[in-house]
Amino acid sequence: MQTVLSPSMQEAADALIGNLLASEAFVRCQQAHTRLNEDHQARTLLEQLSQAQADLRKKQANSGVIQAEIDNLRTLQEQVQHNNVIMTYAQTQQEAVNFLREINDEISQLLGINFASFANHTTC
Amino acid sequence: MEDTVLEDIEIAAPSVVRQAARDFAAALAETPQFKALEQAAYAFRQNQAAQLALQAYQQKQQSLRALLMLNALSAEQRADLENLHKAFINQPVVQAYFQAQTELASLCQALGDALSESIGLNYAAACGASCCG
Repeated sequence: MQTVLSPSMQEAADALIGNLLASEAFVRCQQAHTRLNEDHQARTLLEQLSQAQADLRKKQANSGVIQAEIDNLRTLQEQVQHNNVIMTYAQTQQEAVNFLREINDEISQLLGINFASFANHTTC
Repeated sequence: MEDTVLEDIEIAAPSVVRQAARDFAAALAETPQFKALEQAAYAFRQNQAAQLALQAYQQKQQSLRALLMLNALSAEQRADLENLHKAFINQPVVQAYFQAQTELASLCQALGDALSESIGLNYAAACGASCCG
C-alpha cells in the first residue's frame, strides 16, 4: 500500500533532498560519478573486475579455482586501486555516506529513534 | 581542479543541510504515526500488567541465558519461556505499541525510499541501519 505524505512532510522531505544534493560531499560524489561514466577505460576495468569476481565465486563453489585466475583477479584489483578516476569516485562516495550518517544522527537525535532503522525494509 | 569546478556550483553549507534535517525531523514528529507511537510507548510504560509481564519474561530469559547461548534448553524450559513471551506480547498495550511501530515504520520507509531514489544511495543501508537498531 502506498503511503501518502502530508504536504508539510513532503515539503520537508523535498527540502532535505535538495540540500543534500547541493552539499559539497554529494556534489563531489556526483562529479566523480560523471567522470567515471565518461571514462571508458575505468568502466571496462570495473566490469572486468566484477566478472572475474563472479567467475571465481562460481568456481570456488565447484572447487575448480586455478592459480592463474586468482592472479588475474589480483592484477585487476591492483589496476583498480591505481586508477585515479575509480578511486576518486570510491572516496567521494564514502565521504557522501559519512555525511549522510551525520544527517541521520541529527534527525534521530531530535526524534529519539534511529530514523534509518525505521526506514529499513529488512526485518529480523 | 575539482575546487575550480565547485566554485561554479552553489553549495549548501553543512549548517544549512543540518537545519533541513532538523526541519524534516520536526515535520516527522508532527505526523499522526509518530504521535501514535509516542502515546503507545507512554501507555506501555504506565501499564503495570505489561511491565510485570515484561519483567517476568526478561528474568526468565536472564536465568536461562547460558543454556540459551548453547541452544540447550529442555522442552519444559523452552515452553516456559515461550509462554512468558506470549503473555508479554499479547498484552493489549504491547499489541498497540507494535501496531504503532509498524505504521511509523511504513511512513519512514516511504520517506527513506524517496531519499534513496533522489540521492542515489540506499539511505538505510548507507546509515548502517539494522531493523533492531
